[in-house]
Amino acid sequence: MAEYAPVDLTVENQVEFELDGRKVTAPAGTMLADACYAHGVEIPIFCYEPRLGPPIGACRMCLVEVEGMRGLQTACSTPVAPDMVVRTTTDAVKEAQDGVLEVLLANHPLDCPVCDKGGECPLQDRTFKFGPGQSRFVEPKRHHPKPLELSDRIALDRERCIACFRCVRFSQEVAQDGELTMQARGALSEITTFSGDAYAGRFSGNVIDLCPVGALTSIPYRFVSRPWDVQNTPSICGLCPVGCNTELTVREGRTKRVTGRPDPNSAVEEGWLCDTGRWAYDASWSDDRITGAIVREATGDRVAGLEDAVDAAAALLRGRTVGILAGTGATVEEAGIAADLAAGALPGAIVARMGIPGGALAGLRALPGAQLGDIDDADVVVVVGGDPAAQQPIVELRLRKARRFGATVTGCGPRPHLIESLGAFTRTVPGALADGVAAVAQAIAGATLPVVLWDEADLAAEPAAAAALADAIAANDAARQIELGADVNGSGLRALGLPTADLVLDAVREGRVDALLLVHAEPLDAPGRTAWAAALQDFAGPVVAIATHPTATTERADLVLPALTMWEQDGTLVSMNGRVQRLRPGARGPEGAAAGWELLVALAHRLGAPPPYRTAAAAFRAVTAGHAAFAGITSDTAGILGVPLAAPAQVDGASAPAPAQGEGLPLVATREVYGGTHARRSASLASTAAEAAARIAPATAEAQWVRDGDRIVLRSPAGDSGLLTVRVEEGWPEGAVFAPLGAPGAPTEGALPPDMAPVLVQVVRVEAG
Amino acid sequence: MDADQIRAHLDPIRHEFADPRSLVMPALKFAQTEKGHLTREDMAAVAEATGYSPSFVESVASFYDRLYTRPVGNRVVSVCITLSCMLRGSDEVWEALCEHEGVDHHHGGTSADGRITIQEAQCLGYCDRGACIQVDAEETQGPFTPEEAVKLVEELREAPTPAELWR
Repeated sequence: MAEYAPVDLTVENQVEFELDGRKVTAPAGTMLADACYAHGVEIPIFCYEPRLGPPIGACRMCLVEVEGMRGLQTACSTPVAPDMVVRTTTDAVKEAQDGVLEVLLANHPLDCPVCDKGGECPLQDRTFKFGPGQSRFVEPKRHHPKPLELSDRIALDRERCIACFRCVRFSQEVAQDGELTMQARGALSEITTFSGDAYAGRFSGNVIDLCPVGALTSIPYRFVSRPWDVQNTPSICGLCPVGCNTELTVREGRTKRVTGRPDPNSAVEEGWLCDTGRWAYDASWSDDRITGAIVREATGDRVAGLEDAVDAAAALLRGRTVGILAGTGATVEEAGIAADLAAGALPGAIVARMGIPGGALAGLRALPGAQLGDIDDADVVVVVGGDPAAQQPIVELRLRKARRFGATVTGCGPRPHLIESLGAFTRTVPGALADGVAAVAQAIAGATLPVVLWDEADLAAEPAAAAALADAIAANDAARQIELGADVNGSGLRALGLPTADLVLDAVREGRVDALLLVHAEPLDAPGRTAWAAALQDFAGPVVAIATHPTATTERADLVLPALTMWEQDGTLVSMNGRVQRLRPGARGPEGAAAGWELLVALAHRLGAPPPYRTAAAAFRAVTAGHAAFAGITSDTAGILGVPLAAPAQVDGASAPAPAQGEGLPLVATREVYGGTHARRSASLASTAAEAAARIAPATAEAQWVRDGDRIVLRSPAGDSGLLTVRVEEGWPEGAVFAPLGAPGAPTEGALPPDMAPVLVQVVRVEAG
Repeated sequence: MDADQIRAHLDPIRHEFADPRSLVMPALKFAQTEKGHLTREDMAAVAEATGYSPSFVESVASFYDRLYTRPVGNRVVSVCITLSCMLRGSDEVWEALCEHEGVDHHHGGTSADGRITIQEAQCLGYCDRGACIQVDAEETQGPFTPEEAVKLVEELREAPTPAELWR
């Protein structure tokens, strides 16, 4: 971790002070430790971590001499002052550093050769650089049974702990889960949870990155590798539309670990990761991973080599009118090359994207946008709809930080969620989000620097609310908006100008296409799967799917081409609020699989229309040419930290959703915190798996004649859901059914129309609980 | 003990504490009067009544020597082992009490009948009357010879248990 705060030496209001005999400057209020680092002088630190809030000066490692001040000062908590004379290399400072390190090491086991942290350990590095050559400590050291499992995924070696309080401050101040504390006193102090319960935070893994010693280590990564045996690749997380910047630790062609970046991207995730993003990487070698091409023949399935399979795909698609669907997780390159096929290799093909049409959102998307980092400066943060804590987890930490800085958090929405505890939230009746918008409009109007976060799915379903919110934001010139997107690369697909999937669905129904090419698209597992299943029932043409894991869609496909996951492939994703960021290949992927964009390029070659690019970077340049949103953006300009789109990512002409169809109760879709294809397949996250349950408030359940534990089906005009277990729980609003998206087998999606328009459902009891 | 009982105890004294965090201490002391020590449920109740996390409440309880997170005897006898008392023979007092109660000579402990707990204490401020002993974190007495200390413990064993140690 970059442990020092970045210091801007160019801004106005610099303070001049003397550092080891040099005249230097730093902005007023900068802590000495940061200012020194900016001028090339490393002050050793352990407890200091600017992202955790005000410094606490617990470890005493950063002592420096300041002329005129009695005794030595802690550089982490002393701000620069005019004409301050600071000395960092005097004998007194050296003696203090020796002394502090000797105390810190008194009980430290020095088991570096068997410690996971060895080689990338601040304590090790700083002992070498600043510490005494020898220890005078001959007494027996502290011993504990080891390691203690703080949770399924975090191991605690208590004797290695130097009591810097970083993990405790993260838990108490940043994640605010209140779980970790320091118990007992003195040499017996230890990090622990209440009564030794498992650490149950949704951001718990960050304490591993924060720990400056080897006390907190990742259990899935325990004894897996040494820092000098691995390559670290800066990449991004493709599990949700936030696009947190990550670093992949790769050994022997596999991603062995995902950590926050050593230099955090302050515009996006600030170095924090949610537990799903940190540990879901083992899904890329789950048992059911598609590692070879599957060819469905009359005699049964055959596993084919890649060359044969691409030949077979070309044979299946040649000369046909193909419907091409880009899935919500497809990269810009994959979707763009697929769209290019229509222009050359597969003439007449209809190309479309999965995901929410969003016809009603054009007004909102055209308003001035903000990056997640801008939430820090806001005085009022408004959350409209959605469930950011489950769908865009890192937003929760941003909102908590904004509140710590004194911002007011407020909002409205139809479903209860974890962020509601941060401020005044209005619970709206499903279908009447506009009422909630009216309530928050006042907060937006009265604020000096408001940031509005709005949920794509909820507002797309209610055009009236979207229009009202757009007006409310437009009324305040300082207001900026952030879209809480539903799909990983939804913005990227829109920026490419791809139309919505109903175009292909209609063509399939009407027989205007006679083959389908699915690029990471899963129409039989997405909202509207009932409509798709009906359309595909009588579809005689071949279905070719590019996929990483088996789904109902790949079961239906005649040919499955094995693709690479986000931990293995090159590509570009556009985050929900339009930040273009690059995925970089960490791991190699299975022998029989290739990146989706490479498969499409190979297919174009086989079809006799070779595209003029051979690399992902060149493909990006080619497929984004002519799209205003990508103007001036290349893989190089996106660089390590990404850049915002040049223009909002939106497609004009998408239809607005129909008013709620059917009769019965409104169905409100929810998300599980650890839901999703990859999280569910991750062995490390297995203990977090949640059941696919429909949540109903007690009085409503009684009126519907269902009880806790019953198995039900939700019936809407769009179709029947899969089986869901009823959970009757207090706290959920009456008069609606809350059912999760992304559960195994996609039960809820069955009752939703393809455009996610609102529906009313009847509750049909199948089995008594 | 449940959160409502603790709230009822805290309400009359709430105004005495400028920082609401300070309320955790009287809440824990009060919760301890029921069983003599703090159970997981007691600490969860204190957390509920004060609004802090159970983990934080436990960290406070674990910091203080006179807040017990494990069961102790009906009477707790703390023997000062700091320098002044040690020079006046507290080692012998400690040994005699541990011997008499049949508990571990290094860490102290609770007698087999569950009536007496022997524990070490750091300086109790009775250096002029060493070797000194504190009973139930309330009353400090001294000086003691080993024999007198054993006699005191025997008297404590027979004496009625104060129903409310802290109030």
